[in-house]
Amino acid sequence: MILTVLQISFRRLLHNRVELLLTFLVPIAFFSIFAVIFGGGLGRGTTPRIKVVAVDEMQSVVSRQVMSALREQESLRFVRENDADALQRDEAMELVRSGSATMAIVFRNDHDQLAAELMADASDQVAAQVVSALVNRSMMLSEAEYQVSQLTDSDQNDTEDSVDAVATGVPKDEPFGIEASLQRKVEVIDVMGEGKANPVVSMYASGIAVMFLLFGATGGGGALLEERENQTLDRLLSTQMSMDQLLLGKWFYMSSIGVLQVGVMFLWAQFVFNVDLLGHLDGFLMMTVVTALAASAFGLFLATLCKSRGQLNGLSVILILTMSALGGSMVPRYLMSDELQQYGLWTFNAWALDGYTKVFWRELPVDALAPQLAVLLTSGVVFLLAARVLAVRWETN
Amino acid sequence: MNYARPTPALAIHDLQKSYGDLHALKGVTFGLHRGERLAFLGPNGAGKTTLIRCLAGLTKADHGEIFLSGRPFKSLESRQQIGFVPQEIALYADLTTRQNLEAFGRFHGLRRRKLRERLTWALQWTGLEDRADDLVGTFSGGMQRRVNLACGVMHEPDILLLDEPTVGVDPQSRQRIFTMLDELSTSGTSILLTTHHLDEAEERSDRIVILDQGKVVADGSIDELVEQSVGTQRLVRLRIDRPLSSPIREGVAAGAVSYGNSGEDEISTRIDDVSNHLPGLIELVRRRGYGIADVQVESPSLHHVFLHLTGYELRD
Repeated sequence: MILTVLQISFRRLLHNRVELLLTFLVPIAFFSIFAVIFGGGLGRGTTPRIKVVAVDEMQSVVSRQVMSALREQESLRFVRENDADALQRDEAMELVRSGSATMAIVFRNDHDQLAAELMADASDQVAAQVVSALVNRSMMLSEAEYQVSQLTDSDQNDTEDSVDAVATGVPKDEPFGIEASLQRKVEVIDVMGEGKANPVVSMYASGIAVMFLLFGATGGGGALLEERENQTLDRLLSTQMSMDQLLLGKWFYMSSIGVLQVGVMFLWAQFVFNVDLLGHLDGFLMMTVVTALAASAFGLFLATLCKSRGQLNGLSVILILTMSALGGSMVPRYLMSDELQQYGLWTFNAWALDGYTKVFWRELPVDALAPQLAVLLTSGVVFLLAARVLAVRWETN
Repeated sequence: MNYARPTPALAIHDLQKSYGDLHALKGVTFGLHRGERLAFLGPNGAGKTTLIRCLAGLTKADHGEIFLSGRPFKSLESRQQIGFVPQEIALYADLTTRQNLEAFGRFHGLRRRKLRERLTWALQWTGLEDRADDLVGTFSGGMQRRVNLACGVMHEPDILLLDEPTVGVDPQSRQRIFTMLDELSTSGTSILLTTHHLDEAEERSDRIVILDQGKVVADGSIDELVEQSVGTQRLVRLRIDRPLSSPIREGVAAGAVSYGNSGEDEISTRIDDVSNHLPGLIELVRRRGYGIADVQVESPSLHHVFLHLTGYELRD
C-alpha cells in the first residue's frame, strides 16, 4: 500500500510540469540569483562601490595625501571628482541627503590635527563601517609618512619603532596606540536618521510591500484566467461589456486592493514600529497608488500571456522573486555590485523602493518623486496595453 | 433558403469558419422562428460550439451572414437580443444567487427598477427565492444550472443560446430546467440548444438540426427527419416457439420473399403499412406450423435518423 502511494505520487509529479518546475527549477534559479548577487558570479570584481564626496577644509599636506589615497581606493566612487576642492560642507551634506552620495567625508582642523567627519546616510548600514575603516587607515598612513619625512637622520632609530607601531597598530609605549588616537579623530555623523523614531523599518516595509503588491497582482490576474477556464469570460463578453471595460475594471480593482494592502501594512508599521506614515502621507499615497497601478498592470500582462493558471503560478513565482531579489526587496541594493544595481533598475521594486526611500528616509518634497512616478506609471501603461493586445485572442478565437 | 416571410428571429446564411486547415463550419444555413425550440445535434467536433460562439458574438465567422429579426448581426448591439448560457457553470461561486443575478443583469445593461423587477422574476422562475442570499458555491449541480440559466436571460433576450444545458444533471433537475425553458418559449423566446441527449431533442424541441463535419445534414421536425432519412417503415420482430427449420417463403419463383434464418427463433423484417401487413405476416408464420411467442414493432427514432445520416452513434 505504502509503495503504491509512493508510486502514484511520483507518477503524478512527473505528469505535472508546473509542480516539477517549482520543485526543481525554482530553487536552482534562486540559488543562482543569490549566488550571483553575493558570490560574485555576475559582475565579478565589481564589488559594491560606495558613492562618496569629500571636502578638504584643512588644506594641509596630510589632508591632501589622505584625499589622494582615498581616490585610489577601488571601493569608493567619488561623485564630484573634479571640483572637490571647491565643495563646501553644506553642499556635500545636501548631496548625501538627496541620495546622490552615500557619504560625505569632511576633513577639518582639530587643534592642528587632521580630523574627519563622515556624514553618513545610515540607510546603507555597511558604507559607514567601510568608509570609516578606509579613512582611518589612510589618515594613519599619511600622517606616519609625513612624520617620517620630517625626521632627521639621528632620529632614525626612533622612527623604526614608530613605523612598527603604525604597521602593527600596537605601539610600544603608548597605552592607547596611534590607531586609537586616530580613531578618536574620525567621527561618523548620521545626517539622515536624526530625529526619526524608527527610520530603517520604513525601507523594509516598502520592500516587502512591493513584493506582495506583485504577488497580489498576479493573483488578481489569475482570476481572469480562471474566468477564462470556466467560461465566465465568454459569458461576460457576450454581454454589453467589452474587453477594454473588463480589463480596466480589473486593473482598478487590483490597484485599489494593492493600495489598501500597502496602506494597512504601513499603518501597522506606524503603530507598532513608529514609522511616520501620517507625516509623509502625500508622498506615500503618490508612490503607493502609482506602484499599485504598475504592479496590477504587470499582473494582467502575465495573466494574458499565460494559457493556464498553473502556468501563471510558475512564471509569476520565478519573475517576482527574481525582481524582488534584484530590485532590493530582499537584500538592499547597496550590497550589490554596480552592475547588478544597474540590472535592478529594470524592476518595479528598485524604482518603487527608491521612491519610498525619498519619501520616508530622505524626506524630499514630492516633486523629487517625478522620475520614479514617471517610470512606474509609464511601465504600468505599457503593460496594460500589452495585456490588451494579448487579450485579443480571447475575443476572436 | 428564403427567410423573408415571416421574418425569422434568427437567420444564418452560408456561415463558414476555419481554424488553420480545420474547417469547423462549411457553409451552415438555417433559420429560427420566434418562440421556436431548436435542438442542435452532432457528434463531437461537428462544429456546434463554433456555431454557438459565432451567434454569441464570441467568434468571428470567416464568411456568411447572421440576421437577427431581419437586421444584420452587429457584435455589441446585437448582444442585447441574445442570451448565452455556456456549458460550464459560468458563475461567481463566492457570490450569492442574488449577487450573481444582479451582476449579470448589470453587465447586460439593466439598471434600477428594471433590474429589481428582473431579479424578482428570476428568483421566482428558478424557484430559488429562499436561497437568494446563499452562496452559489454551496448549491447542488442542478441548482447551479438553474442560476446559470437565469443569468443568461436577465435582459429578456429574443434568442437564447444554450450549450449543453443539462450536462451532468440528474433527471429531476433536467425536468425542472426544461419546464423553465418551456415557460420562456411560451412567452416568445426562441431557444437554440445543443445537446447529446437524443430523448431531450426528440421530446423538448420543435425542430432538430443535425450538424456533421461543419455542415447541416438534416433540418426539420422529428417526423420530417424520419421520413427524409429512414422513411416510414417499421421494424417488426416475431419471436417463435422453436427454431426455424428453413426460412419461410412467401410467393413463388422470382417474386418470392423469405423471412428468418434457419436455426433462429426470431423473424425480423421491415414493413411499410403495419396495420395491413402485420396480420398477414403472422398468419403466414402460423400456416408454416410455428407458434408466435412475442411481437415487437419498432418505430424509427431520432437515434436511427442520426445513425443513418452521420454513420455513427452520437456519443462518438
